[in-house]
Amino acid sequence: MALLELKNVSKIYGDLKALNDVSIRVEKGEWVAIMGPSGSGKSTMMNIIGCMDKPSLGEVLLDGVDISKEPQKKLTDIRRDKIGLIFQQFHMVTYLTAVENVMVSQYYHSMPDEEEALEALERVGLRERAKHLPSQLSGGEQQRVCVARALINHPELILADEPTGNLDETNENIVLDLFRQLHNEGTTLIVVTHDPEVAEAAQRTIVLEHGRVAREIINENFGK
Amino acid sequence: MTRRKMFLRMITASLLRRRSRMLIALLSIAVGATILSGLVTIYYDVPRQMGAQFRSYGANMILLPSGETPLTWEKVQTVLDMVPDSELVGATPYRYVRLDMPSRQQSFTGAGTDFTQVLKTSPYFSVEGAYPENTREILVGKEIAETIGLKTGSSIELSYKQTADSGNTGSKGAEEGALLSGSAEGFNKAILKVSISLDEDEKISSIEVDSSSQTPGIGSNVGTDQAFLDQFIGKSLPLRLSGTASEEQGKGEDTGLIDAVSGATISSQAVVDAVNRTVSAENAVPVENREHFTVSGILSTGGEEESYIYMTLTDLGRLTGDELLDVAELSISAPSDELETLCSSITDLNIGVTPRLVKRVTRSEASVLGKLQALVFLVTVVVLLLTMISVSTTMMAVVSERRREIGLRKALGASDRSIRSEFLGEGMFLGGLGGLMGAVLGFVFAQVVSINVFGSSIAFQPLLLPVTIIVSMAVAAASCQLPIRRAVAIDPAIVLKGE
Ligand SMILES: Nc1ncnc2c1ncn2[C@@H]1O[C@H](COP(=O)(O)OP(=O)(O)O)[C@@H](O)[C@H]1O
Ligand SMILES: [Mg+2]
Repeated sequence: MALLELKNVSKIYGDLKALNDVSIRVEKGEWVAIMGPSGSGKSTMMNIIGCMDKPSLGEVLLDGVDISKEPQKKLTDIRRDKIGLIFQQFHMVTYLTAVENVMVSQYYHSMPDEEEALEALERVGLRERAKHLPSQLSGGEQQRVCVARALINHPELILADEPTGNLDETNENIVLDLFRQLHNEGTTLIVVTHDPEVAEAAQRTIVLEHGRVAREIINENFGK
Repeated sequence: MTRRKMFLRMITASLLRRRSRMLIALLSIAVGATILSGLVTIYYDVPRQMGAQFRSYGANMILLPSGETPLTWEKVQTVLDMVPDSELVGATPYRYVRLDMPSRQQSFTGAGTDFTQVLKTSPYFSVEGAYPENTREILVGKEIAETIGLKTGSSIELSYKQTADSGNTGSKGAEEGALLSGSAEGFNKAILKVSISLDEDEKISSIEVDSSSQTPGIGSNVGTDQAFLDQFIGKSLPLRLSGTASEEQGKGEDTGLIDAVSGATISSQAVVDAVNRTVSAENAVPVENREHFTVSGILSTGGEEESYIYMTLTDLGRLTGDELLDVAELSISAPSDELETLCSSITDLNIGVTPRLVKRVTRSEASVLGKLQALVFLVTVVVLLLTMISVSTTMMAVVSERRREIGLRKALGASDRSIRSEFLGEGMFLGGLGGLMGAVLGFVFAQVVSINVFGSSIAFQPLLLPVTIIVSMAVAAASCQLPIRRAVAIDPAIVLKGE
């Protein structure tokens, strides 16, 4: 059964069709990469899937629920319960420590649990930096904290918008390894990227151009 | 860890680790709360303070003699005993008489008073020089001083003329057996006093002479020479001294003749005069008492007091020969209803004292107080508004500064309610802290104002601490409403768009 299905989705800003009649399916546990030039509609699509925006036309089925019809409040609940987000700019709450940033996600989801948050940081190799403020962490470390924060509530779907865009190779590999672990645990991953290497780590790549799906590439080498 | 703990951890981290902006908001609230609690403290203390101030603009109650009976200090004292010590600001007795200035053949109003009390009931008294401290010192009204050219240190003779209805207590047609008294000028113009009693036939039945003012051993003998005094018994008035003009003219065989004590004719004549005067006061030759006084200071008040001459009651009493009062001015620090109650209880005492409230002062006191309190209230409201604007503006800046963070929180699943309560929590925390600072600083502020403006200190109002904190929190919460609306409206999508 598909975890996510976009049916003829369009997002129209005035004359501009940021998304133009897009239809895609993502199965449960699948790892999909989304590529495309700047302005092709990748972020727009992620926003819609992430329940932060609604399509102008079409249906978006997430776990069988048409999120294009749900009210704003419900969308927040769905996002909180089902989706983990990772951003290019590794957004963190600047005045909270690494572990507190992870706990913020727990706080909105259910119960803050410092021990669990520390375990998540352990997983991204940052347990000993738990008490550091974002300003005391490198970019790669911040993004790893964001990954820990995204996985802390065990979401079904992780959406990552250019997660490695601002990372050096070492950190890029750490993040990709984490994605592999998450994939192996059965988490569904949708990763927007410019980087062919990152795309090649996924099972399938969807290429967007001018708001349309230009092509899909199945990664024959996946898992090898 | 509970959600509540995490909530507090986030809020305190935001305030402690972000500082700058929050410090400004905190400062705004603290300043607002300082002025608020300070003004409220003063506001509640103003009636007390202003009461004292206004009372210092003059007496607010005067005591007058009722009917014929004269006012005395004992009666005033009886009234003062009814006023609590803490409420009595001052009580000043006054006696007004006509005084002559023989050297200028002019007369003035002379006033006897208690200079230690005068400033408490008439603080507008302004003296150039000094208040009289020694006997025979006077305070001269500016107007008199100017017209006759008196200066501090000038010496002036004043005289008091006893007339039928001023001072001499002799009375015609007194009851049989009653003690009658009279006085007359003896040797060297010194006053000599006698008292007699009459029998049913209006004949003298007893006589006593106070001749202590006369020359010792000579004139003073008129009071002790029993043979001289015995001549009076059984005689009816008027009497004459043998060998005086009226005897030689052979007038009135029916009147008694008295032989003078040898060597003390003048004093003997004085005794006869005084005896005659006991029943015929209206025919009395005015007795005049004169004394020299030194001007210790010139009084200016801008009122009629400038045409009076002030001296101690003791000095005036020596001139008039009595210790009566005309009026007592009281300054009492009590609300007007309490003053009215006091008035009626004084009247009920029935000791011949009529109290009067000086309404003009008490009424204007109330109206000025009302206006002042309204002013304080207005200032408080304005300060609250300014604080709200300041805090609101700062929080607005905080919200736009934290747009990305708010977007991030929403992207992570924060509901509008969470965002609202987080900001409100921060605002109320600031409000509480600012309120606490303000309550303490406000008391200091009120204390400084009170000491400088009113010259007295204020007691700390314990209730004001929680009130200030709660009001500050409420103001902070109100100030956060608009910024919170902004925060809630932030689109979580900005985070993905990388704005
Ligand atoms: N809120 C918006 N209003 C108007 N145009 C928008 C808005 N968001 C995105 N766009 C436009 O939609 C197009 C797709 O943007 P986006 O999805 O961010 O592209 P990508 O992430 O692939 O670079 C761009 O041309 C962009 O300018
Ligand atoms: Mg983008």
